[in-house]
Amino acid sequence: MPDVLIADDSEFMRNLLREILEEDHDIVGEVENGVEAVETYKEKDPDLVMMDIVMPIRDGIEATDEIKTNNPEANVIMCTSVGQEEKMKEAVKAGADGYITKPFQKPSVMEAIEDVVPT
Amino acid sequence: MKVDIQSLGTFNRLAHEGAEEATAAMCQMTGLDAVVDVTKITLMDRDDIGEQLRDEEYVGVQFAFEGELAGDTVLVFDREGSRTIAESLIPGGGASDSMARSSVKEIGNIMMSGFIDGWADFLTATIEHSPPEYVEGTGEAILPDRRRPDSDDADDGDGADTSGQNTEQIFVFKSEIEWVGESVSFYIYMLPEYEPLAEVMGRHGQAQGDAIPVDKLQVFNEMTYDGTQRAADNVEMMTGIETEAEVSQLSFAPIEDVPKQVGTDTYVGTVVEFTGVPSGFLMVLFDEDSAVHIAEAMMPIEMDADGLTGQHKNAIEELGNIMTSGFVDGWANVLQTSVDHTPPRLVHDMGRAIVDPLAAQVGQHQEHAFIIDSEMRTDDIAFGAEIHALPNETELRQALDELLVDRADQTDADIEQIF
Repeated sequence: MPDVLIADDSEFMRNLLREILEEDHDIVGEVENGVEAVETYKEKDPDLVMMDIVMPIRDGIEATDEIKTNNPEANVIMCTSVGQEEKMKEAVKAGADGYITKPFQKPSVMEAIEDVVPT
Repeated sequence: MKVDIQSLGTFNRLAHEGAEEATAAMCQMTGLDAVVDVTKITLMDRDDIGEQLRDEEYVGVQFAFEGELAGDTVLVFDREGSRTIAESLIPGGGASDSMARSSVKEIGNIMMSGFIDGWADFLTATIEHSPPEYVEGTGEAILPDRRRPDSDDADDGDGADTSGQNTEQIFVFKSEIEWVGESVSFYIYMLPEYEPLAEVMGRHGQAQGDAIPVDKLQVFNEMTYDGTQRAADNVEMMTGIETEAEVSQLSFAPIEDVPKQVGTDTYVGTVVEFTGVPSGFLMVLFDEDSAVHIAEAMMPIEMDADGLTGQHKNAIEELGNIMTSGFVDGWANVLQTSVDHTPPRLVHDMGRAIVDPLAAQVGQHQEHAFIIDSEMRTDDIAFGAEIHALPNETELRQALDELLVDRADQTDADIEQIF
């Protein structure tokens, strides 16, 4: 099963993502901001990061940029409420591999993951 | 037509002073104590005028006026308030319907004459008004016919309909007056016709520097409605509760009146600060019962605790986050820019206490503020949500300058195209 790191400042959303993913994935960490996401990525080296954008301390785009700079093979899906075209372009520039907008349902999450980390 | 911020401020002050004159006349005649709470200019859909009157019974007086300005104005009291007035004018008069009606008509006549005369004096012109007509009705039905007579011909070149949705946006001047020590309010609505108002505003407008084209204000208002509907769709998707955007309006008021817009009820919700053009604050607020209902609808398991728990608040925080994005993303996509916002901060307090510090912060740079107000409701369960945005005035003007009306419907981004 692929290892997944969840980065989201909302406890509610972390729980929701965990419930959606835990049947088919190993959740190796849940973090609340971009700094913790980068640190936990280095430590756990997961197959996939589900990354929120709007987070305190450091946002998800900056964290993605650092993760991808350190490891261009990293897989990062932005998992965010932000539906702005310019923000999506910033995410692409930072190296994001996929983008899903909240609110989401399980099929759209699984589809996005399958696109990035095919089983 | 362009309208500059200074003339909006002047006209708002004029309406406020007129309402104060009218209120003073009432206080003098009745011995009751009342103060003008809020006066604001609102650009809104004609069909939505008076939404906040809800289902209460009202009585009042209505006038048509013409001259330098033309239109309708109406003063409305709730029925209980009208009886109090009758009682204070003629002891025992409150018991008789005909006496109450006559009292309201007379006092309304005196109050509203003062209100209209103030406008005429400012404009150094004559404004004639019709004899007072006594009106009574439930909720918004008390107001003058809100539907334009030629609604089948909405785009008739008056600049007031740019949506293509057969809606008409108009400027409304509204004052809310509170009786001191009583939970009773009454309202003055002034509904000027578009053309004469546009002409007067244009004439009293000053520098071009801070002028806003009104057609863009209207387009912006429609974008705001779309944003509210998107936020409502997000609620529906997360809770399964069918939710509709109900009202969306753009108001202009002195900064010190901004907290009064939200009232004294207790709310639970989120506040974010957004940056970009425009910057400002955005609040998503639920009344306490709605917050509990909506949070429980989001949770996969049934809650056995009463009231608002930490889990409820977590859910509201995330819902506020998602609704905020739904609301502002459309602006960003149309303006081809990005609008960042801080993570949501959960608030649980009296409405005015939530807004007060935000208005104080915005007020460091401006005397008046645009306030964007939206509401959504559902019939399924007791649920209501309000979204209030408080943008920086200068930056909103800049955003409107940059707004390409032709792009106004391009509020959605295509993820597939970008990824």
